[in-house]
Formats: sequence, C-alpha cells, structure tokens
Amino acid sequence: MSSKPQALSSIGPMRAFASNSKKISTELIEINDDLIEFNQYLTEYYKQLADTWSVAQKKTNLKVPEVPQDVEQIEAFKRIWIDIFDNDYTELFDSEKFGENYGKLVSKELELTKHWNNITNVILQSVNLPSKEEIDEVYKEMHSLKKRVAKLELELKKEVKKNAK
Amino acid sequence: MQSESRIDPKIVEEILKFSKNVIDAPKLVSAPDEISLEVTPHDVVQQIDKTRLLHYRPLTEKRHKTPLLISYALINRYHILDIQPEKSWVRNLLLQGFDVYMLDWGTPTSMDKYLDFDDYVNGYLDSSVEYIKNESSTEKISLQGYCTGGTIATTYAALHPESVKNYIATAPVIDGWRDTTVISNLAKHMDVDKMVDTIGNMPPEFMYYCFSVLKPFEQGIEKYVKFFKNIDNKQFVDSFLRVEKWLGDTPPIPGELFKQWIKDIYQKNLLIQNKMYVGGEHIDLKKIDMPVFTQIAVGDHLVSPECSMPLHYAVGSDDKTLRMYPTGHVGMIASSLSQKKVLPELGQWLSERS
Repeated sequence: MSSKPQALSSIGPMRAFASNSKKISTELIEINDDLIEFNQYLTEYYKQLADTWSVAQKKTNLKVPEVPQDVEQIEAFKRIWIDIFDNDYTELFDSEKFGENYGKLVSKELELTKHWNNITNVILQSVNLPSKEEIDEVYKEMHSLKKRVAKLELELKKEVKKNAK
Repeated sequence: MQSESRIDPKIVEEILKFSKNVIDAPKLVSAPDEISLEVTPHDVVQQIDKTRLLHYRPLTEKRHKTPLLISYALINRYHILDIQPEKSWVRNLLLQGFDVYMLDWGTPTSMDKYLDFDDYVNGYLDSSVEYIKNESSTEKISLQGYCTGGTIATTYAALHPESVKNYIATAPVIDGWRDTTVISNLAKHMDVDKMVDTIGNMPPEFMYYCFSVLKPFEQGIEKYVKFFKNIDNKQFVDSFLRVEKWLGDTPPIPGELFKQWIKDIYQKNLLIQNKMYVGGEHIDLKKIDMPVFTQIAVGDHLVSPECSMPLHYAVGSDDKTLRMYPTGHVGMIASSLSQKKVLPELGQWLSERS
C-alpha cells in the first residue's frame, strides 16, 4: 500500500526523464566541445574558398587588364573568368588539404548529429518509445528475414523446376 | 561640351534583353511538376521491394533475339537514358531492333539502410536477369551498366557469366585509385562508417553538394546565363528543364551499399585488384569471359577515363572493344553525339552478337 505512490512515479515520463537528465547534460557539454572543433574546420573551409577566389581573381585581372568595352569583349572576359575560376577551384577540391579538412568537417558534423540523436533517444525512452538503435535493430532483422525468404524462394523454384523435369 | 561615352550601346541592349528574359521566364517555362520524364512507353513487368523492372514496348517488327537489360547508376534516376525522344538512348536501341529492359532501383527509405552490394547484385539484378531469361526463353541476355550501375553490372558479370551473353560497360566506376575527379578525392577522405552509422542512407543533399563542386562556375553560373539567353527557344528550354528535373531527383543510397562502394572502390580499390567480395563470393574480373564493349567519355568529370579504362584490360574476354568519345559523362548517353556516333557503334557491335 505504501509503495503505491512510488510505483506510480516510477512509470511516469518525468521520472524516466529525470533519471536520464544527466545524460542530456553530458551530451550538451560534449556538443559544446565538438562545436568549437566544427567551427575551426568550417573556418578553414571558408578560408580555403576565399583564398582560392582571391588568387583566381588576380589571375583573371592579369589576363584581362582592361574593362571590356563591347559585347564580344564581355563574352571573352566571362569565358576567361569562368575557365580560371573553374580550374582553380577544381584544383582546390582535388587537393589533399581540402579533402582532409572537408573530411574532418563532415566527421564533426556527424558527431554533432550523434549527440542530437542521443538526446532524442533519452526523450523517446522517457515516453516509452523505441530509440533509433531499437528501430535499427528491427530494420536489420527485417533485412535478414527478407534475405532468408528470397533464398528459400529460390531454392523452392529450383526444386519445382527439377521435379518438373 | 559633349561628353564621350565609351560604353557600347549593344552592351546596354544585351543587359536589358537579359533582364527582360529573366522577368519573362516564369511565364514561358513549365513548372517542374508539369514535365513528365516518362518518355518511351513501357510496362512494369516485375517489382521487388522498391525496385521495378521496366520493359519497353517494341518500335520495330523485327527484333534481335537477345534482350538487353540496362543497370542504371545509383545516383539520379534512369530517366536520363530516355530524357526526350530525340536524345533517348532507349528509343534509339528500340529503333535498332533491340528488346530493352531497364532496372529502376527505386527510392530507398530508412528501412532499406541494410541493403548491400549482395542485395543489389545477387538479389535485384539477378532476379531481373532471371525474369528476362524466362520471358524471352533465352539462356543468356545482354547487360549494360552505366556509371555506378556499371560497378554493379561488372560484379554481376563476374559472378554470373553463364547468364550474360554480352556486357556493355558505359563509364563504369572501376579503379578508384586512378580516378582523377573531385568525387574520388572527397570519397577518399570520408569517414563512411561514421556517416552510415549516424545517418543511415546517403542523403540526396550530400550528393547535391558533391555535384556542386564539379565545375562550379560553368555549372552554377554559365549554364543558367545560357538558359535565360535562350528563353525564347522552346526546344532548348524543354531540353534544359528536363535535364534540370533529372538532376534534382536523386534518391538516397542505402547505407550498407554506399559504405561498401566507397570503401571497396575508392578507398581500398579492391575491385580492380580482384580482391572484392560480394555476398561472401570472390569477384574475379578474369571470369568476365563474354564479349565486352567498354564506352568511355574523354571529358568525363564524374568518372574519369582512367577510372573506367582498366576494366578493358582486366576482363578475361578475348572479344573486347574499347571506344572513347569526345564528350562528357552525360553527353555520352543523352546528346546528339550519342545518337549519331555512340549508339550506332554500340548497335552494330551488339547486333553482330545478338
């Protein structure tokens, strides 16, 4: 009789949420740390883009020193501008330094997503809903079952064919 | 005193005309929803999960005996091979008397994140081949793989040579280490395990980012300038919008499949080294012993010629042909060049073997 109020609170959403609130705080602290690193990579990303722009623009200015005066000149200027910029940016995107920084930028972004997923999981569990991992398990099971069914169907087909002969 | 202006009046005229075209554009062009990319009539003859096997209706009375199945890429959708009647790869082949099937990979959802290479090669593609063999009462079919569909079709041809009479590899992704494109650089630095574990399927948005770094100024500025300049040209506008609609419609790629593709092709380069496994089975390119026709675009900035070409030298076939065309990745399959040069050459090669 005396345990009844405790039992009630142990199944309510607030109880579950309160017991996991520490997890949320930890995730938020880690998000903060990751955000700092994410911003470093993002700054480097935009720096690389800006530096390339500046070099490409200088190259264009050297090639086309005068302001275009007629339609043909504008067309020619545009062609040179596009060619130089496309070449320089392709060189950047193809470089080790860009690939490495971009890889780290995406990786940090994924870590931020992971934290967000973890926070969402805490909230989902507090209202007795399945977490992402639990849903993934269902998907995995379904995939494996489908594979087994397909294999069995194939074997059955072969058997039917064999018997028909 | 009269001041002398050095600005050519034609420049002003051009600017005004261009501005008018931009303003008129919404009145002159169709909304993307109004454009149908289903061009050549076909029937959906088989559906497994989200994939569909399309069978195009014949356009000639006389047909070659061996049917052709096209394995389209994992990026964007098959519509580019049938984008409009005068540039349609499929229609051209039908007019040459071939019996054409297309495998539409469909649009995977979150629950498909565990689909892998094995499901695509030994599941969907194999089921399609078996269906066609039954329908056409043939022991073997001709198989064409385009781009990443070429990677899938290549592994299929190596695992099931008994079902493939002729293999056509069109800009296939084969040798990741030799690939000189920006895509390969991004792929090499990707933490693909973390990506798939965190977000599941490869989202279209990431693909759009990858496309945006390919010739960003030509594709991001010049292309649209040309579009507005030609806004009165109905044929140009129709063609442009169709390709734009196609470009904007890329389905997600199942996580496990994407993971294996990036790791085995771009990061470890296993396929060309004959070290790749699909569904536990070893892929040996030497087992591709049927006639092979490899098509490469010299100006391909998505799959560089160096990435595709090694297939020609790696297969075990004695009857193999390599053709290079002065065009790009899409130009090879949907352009006037493809209609005038690429397809007639393919048709001749295939008809001699069908």
